Amino acid sequence: MEAIVNKFKEKFNKVKEDLNRWEELQSRLVSQFRNASYIIDRLQLLRNCKNYGDLNCIDGITEAVLAKQMQSLENIFVSMRKTLEKFHSIVLFLAKSDRDGRQLVKGSSSRPTMKQLQQRVGIKPRLIDCLDGLSLLHDLYYSEYQLKLSLVSALSANALKLSSSDHGALQQLLADQPNIQTEEVRFVFDIVFAEED
Amino acid sequence: MEALYSTTSFPSITIDSNLSNLNSTSSPLPPSVIRLWRPAAQRNLKNQWPKLASYRQQWCSISSSARSHATALVNSHLSQRYMPNMELGVLNDMPDIRKRACFKLFKQQEQQRSKLLSSYKDMVAVVSDMKNISRSMRCFFKGENNSPLLQFSSFPEDKSDSGDGGGIPVFTSLSISSHEKLADELIQMFMLELCLKRLLVLEFLSIGCDDSQVNQLKWSDELYPGEFNHLSNCNLYSEETYEPAHPRLRCRKCEMVYLKFDSKPNSEVLQVYLTSWLAELNIDYFRVDEIFDMVGEEMHVRLS
Repeated sequence: MEAIVNKFKEKFNKVKEDLNRWEELQSRLVSQFRNASYIIDRLQLLRNCKNYGDLNCIDGITEAVLAKQMQSLENIFVSMRKTLEKFHSIVLFLAKSDRDGRQLVKGSSSRPTMKQLQQRVGIKPRLIDCLDGLSLLHDLYYSEYQLKLSLVSALSANALKLSSSDHGALQQLLADQPNIQTEEVRFVFDIVFAEED
Repeated sequence: MEALYSTTSFPSITIDSNLSNLNSTSSPLPPSVIRLWRPAAQRNLKNQWPKLASYRQQWCSISSSARSHATALVNSHLSQRYMPNMELGVLNDMPDIRKRACFKLFKQQEQQRSKLLSSYKDMVAVVSDMKNISRSMRCFFKGENNSPLLQFSSFPEDKSDSGDGGGIPVFTSLSISSHEKLADELIQMFMLELCLKRLLVLEFLSIGCDDSQVNQLKWSDELYPGEFNHLSNCNLYSEETYEPAHPRLRCRKCEMVYLKFDSKPNSEVLQVYLTSWLAELNIDYFRVDEIFDMVGEEMHVRLS
């Protein structure tokens, strides 16, 4: 039984690494999103040649500035998609860890019963805690990933229709990660690594 | 010996029409001379191209810090302008608070102007350095032509020496003039962008200045001592009209009838100026990378 718990701990360590990477990606995505909204907010202004002051002496300036901005916007969207793919691979890893965890319990020679799953030895985590923890983490991050997907498509699909306050709201939602309760996540790890603290 | 100037491998990219007559590899120079010229020319190009690549990086970093100076300048200027109507809350009771704040903002703008100007100066220097590189791609013979000890230099001693080894490919497919063409195409982008940036610098330097000032900026003003010398080294100064080349976009023109250099442009205009600075309208970075890749591949060196 203890061997299985140790294997779970290894899994949780790897999961922890991936969740740290998630945070890095999160700040990257937020800044990409912010930059995209800046550009979108500016487009209206850039369309009006009255706003070009002395630059109007340069033939074709309005089209050129707009074209460059659209190009940067496209580049940002491409990078956002790449970032989203990386989020996706983390979610896939969480799903795999969840499946592997179940396999670990089922496949072990002792085939623990429900009672054994719930059995507590000292401050070691119960097997059921490990299983539920992995499944919970997958659920949380999966839903958050779905939310991010739809936020990014909302921005790209309605880029020209949304007002800047709409962008602000989307960005806030993206930054808040409402599906991931930090407390809940910490609680999972606290139980699994209770011994180590 | 044939192997030295036979052109066996062609890259799949077509560079210019010069390539079509490469098969003939007909250099008017004797093979023994070519055998010595080629390594020297290769060494020279391997020396020059990386410099161009590093100037490009320098341009990017200077341009981006110049943009931060310009942004800071614009922000201080707008704060100063809005100061009289700004809601100051409890600070309202402090004596002369608005006056002091305005003075401070005014001082800040002075600093930011000089930082912006010095960045502009650096950008001019970078373009001037680039231009010098494109002038030193050729490799000329030095000393006795038929002596067994050939030497090379970057300046022609003999007018008949074109420095291009008779137009043969220096590495596998590009001749000296093809290298020059690619370098010029690249540098042209930065030159055009420099003129456009100069207009923006003038605009930024003019904001917040007193309109009544006699020394209101004009396009024909030299922004720092020596600017016009640098610009003429870049072929960006007209000796006929005594002013720098006009800002324009590639393949477009410019009608500089009357520039206001408004000292109090509205914030929308300022935002457009900042965006235009950022956009580097004349530089097609995709093409820049392509050129560096192409040449790098030719020389078996990584340039970007």
